[in-house]
Amino acid sequence: MNKHIISIDKVTKRFPVGDGEFTALNQVDLQFEKGEFAGIVGPSGSGKTTLLNIIGSLDTPTEGKAIVMDRNIKELSHKESAALRNKHLGFIFQVYNLLPVYTVFENVEFALILQNKSASERKKAVMEALEWVGLENMAKKKPAKLSGGEGQRVAIARAMVKRPEIVLADEPTANLDAKNAHAIIQTMKNLNKELNTTFLFSTHDEKVMAYLNRMVHLEDGKVVKDELIETQNFIS
Amino acid sequence: MKLAFQLAYKNLIGSGLRTWLNVGVLSFAFVIMIFYNGLIDGWDQQAKIDSIAWEYGHGQFLEESYDPFDPFTLQDGHAEFEKNKIKGLSPILIRQATIYPDGRMLSVSLKGIDAQQKTLKLPTATLEKSDAFIPAVIGKRMAESAKLEEGDEVLLRWRDKNGTFDAANITIVDIFDCNVPNVDNGQVWVSIEKLWEITGMTNHATMLIASEDYVHEEMKGWNYSSQEDLLKELSDIIAMKKTSGSIMYGLLLAIALLAIFDTQVLSIFRRQKEIGTYIALGMTRWQVVGLFTVEGSMYSFLATLVGSAYGIPFFYYMATNGITMAANADDMGISIADVIYPVFGIGLIVGSIILVVISATIVSFLPARKIAKMNPVDALKGKLS
Ligand SMILES: Nc1ncnc2c1ncn2[C@@H]1O[C@H](COP(=O)(O)OP(=O)(O)O)[C@@H](O)[C@H]1O
Ligand SMILES: [Mg+2]
Repeated sequence: MNKHIISIDKVTKRFPVGDGEFTALNQVDLQFEKGEFAGIVGPSGSGKTTLLNIIGSLDTPTEGKAIVMDRNIKELSHKESAALRNKHLGFIFQVYNLLPVYTVFENVEFALILQNKSASERKKAVMEALEWVGLENMAKKKPAKLSGGEGQRVAIARAMVKRPEIVLADEPTANLDAKNAHAIIQTMKNLNKELNTTFLFSTHDEKVMAYLNRMVHLEDGKVVKDELIETQNFIS
Repeated sequence: MKLAFQLAYKNLIGSGLRTWLNVGVLSFAFVIMIFYNGLIDGWDQQAKIDSIAWEYGHGQFLEESYDPFDPFTLQDGHAEFEKNKIKGLSPILIRQATIYPDGRMLSVSLKGIDAQQKTLKLPTATLEKSDAFIPAVIGKRMAESAKLEEGDEVLLRWRDKNGTFDAANITIVDIFDCNVPNVDNGQVWVSIEKLWEITGMTNHATMLIASEDYVHEEMKGWNYSSQEDLLKELSDIIAMKKTSGSIMYGLLLAIALLAIFDTQVLSIFRRQKEIGTYIALGMTRWQVVGLFTVEGSMYSFLATLVGSAYGIPFFYYMATNGITMAANADDMGISIADVIYPVFGIGLIVGSIILVVISATIVSFLPARKIAKMNPVDALKGKLS
C-alpha cells in the first residue's frame, strides 16, 4: 500500500483545440495523504477542475501517472473506474447536480442502491448522512423545493453516505451566500475530523481557504505554491 | 436491472405530461391493434362456422367442367351421377334462370337441392311441405332485392336440357336468414326432383355436398375440395383483410414509436448533466445506456397498463355484445354476420404486447447507445451537442 492516497506524478493534460492543443495541466506533481482537508486554489481556467476530474477517474492524463487508492487511473477499464467512483470517491459539484425526480432521501440513497445494499442498511445509512448535514426532516422533499444551501447539503450527504475515502468538491460554495458557504464547509470539516475522510476542493473562494489545512496553488496548469496551514478553530 | 426499472419509472412519472402523451398514443395503437385483429379473428371464426353450415358442408365435389367463378360454365357444368355411389353426398344442380318480380327482370341461379338433405342449414324441408307447383326458398337479401315475401308467386323462366325456354310461376315458401351471401344473393332454391322434372336433366348435378359421415373416395369426372381446402380460400381472403388493416395500426404504432424516439433523443440531450452525475456516482456507461433504454421501453409497459385499463372493459363489451356491421359489408362477397363477436385470444394479446415492448425497446436503445460514447466530463458540463 502506497502511503499516499492520491499520487500525481508529472501529469500533463492537453485538450485538442482547433488545429492545435491546449495544455490545461503541465507536469503536475502532487501527493495527498489520508485525512487531508486540502484545496486546489487558483484563478479560473488554471486547471483545477481538470485535475479533480483526473483524480476522480472521469478523465485521464495525457502524460504522467495519476494513482488513486493504488489504482492507475489511465489503466482502469470503464467498469473499474465506475467501481472506484462508486465505492471510494464522493463528488460534490458547484451546481449540486441532484436528480430532480427523486426525493432528497432517494438522491442520497442512489449510491447505495448501486452497491446493492439492502433496504434496511440503506435507510439507516441515508438517515445518518442526512443527520450529518442537518436535513433529516427534509427526506421526502424534492430538490426543487430546497434552498441552495440545502441542495448542497444534500449533495454532501449523497457523497458521504457511502463513507468514501476521498471526497472531491469542485467549487462547492460558488453558488452560495457567505452564511451557507461557511455552514457547508464547516459541515465538511466536521466529517473530515469524524470519519477521517480526505477532502479535496477546488476553489477560489476566500471563505473556503480559511478552513483548509493545505493549499495547492495552480496557475496556468502548473503548481506554483504548495503550503501547509496551521489549523484554525472556527466557531460556526 | 431492478434499479433501472425503479429509476426509469420515477423518471417517467416525474416528467409528467410528456410521458402520458407518449403512453396515450402507444396504448391507443396497442388497443386498436388488438381490437382490429380480434375483430378479424372473430369474423374469421364466424365466417368459417357459417360457411360450413350454409355452403361448404364437409367438402364438395364439383363437376369437372364447372368453375364457380365463371357462370358461362354452368351451361355444361353438370353430369349424371350414380345414386348408389354417392353415399353421404347430396346433389345440387345449378341452372341459370330469370325471374320477373313486378315486371322487372332478374337473373338468378336456380339451384335444385335434395329437399331431405340435412347437411346444409337451408330450410329445404319446407319445399316438400308445400303443394305449390314449384315451391322455392330464398334468402333475405334476395327477398329484399327482388321485393318478394313469403307466399308470393313470381314468374320463372328457364331452359330445359335442349335449350328450349320454358316458364312457370314459383311460390316463395320460406325466406331464410343467413350470413353467407353465396347462398343468398341471386339464388333461388328449389327441390332437385322438381328441377330435374322441369329441365329433363334427371340425376344430373353440378356439385355434390359431403355430409359429416361422408368417407372420401375419388370420382371420375368430379373434382373434390375438402372442407379444409374450402376454408383455406376463406382464410386467405380474411388474411388479406388482416394485412390491409395492419397498415392502419402500423401507422399508429409508427407514430407512437417516433414520439418515443424523439423523446429519447431530446431527453438524452437535455439530461447530459444527469448522465454525467450517474457516471460520477459510479454507474458504468452501459448501465446508463440500460437505464435510458429501460426508461424508453417503460412506455410500452405503461401503455400496456393504461391500454388494459380502458381496453379490457372495451374488449369485454365488444366480445359480449358484438359489433354491428354496416349493411354494405355484404358486398365483400364473403360471409359476414350482421353482428360480429370479436375474439381476443391469449396469443393475440401476448403477441401484441411482445411486439409493442420489443419495438419500443429498440427505438429507445438506438438513441441511448450514444451515451456509451459520451465523455463524462463533457456530459457533466452539459457541453455535448
Ligand atoms: N474539453 C476541453 N477542451 C478544451 N479546453 C478545455 C477543456 N476542458 C478544459 N479546457 C481548458 O482548460 C483550462 C482549464 O480548465 P479547468 O480545469 O476547467 O479550469 P478551472 O476549473 O481552474 O477553472 C481552461 O482554459 C479550459 O478552457
Ligand atoms: Mg473549474
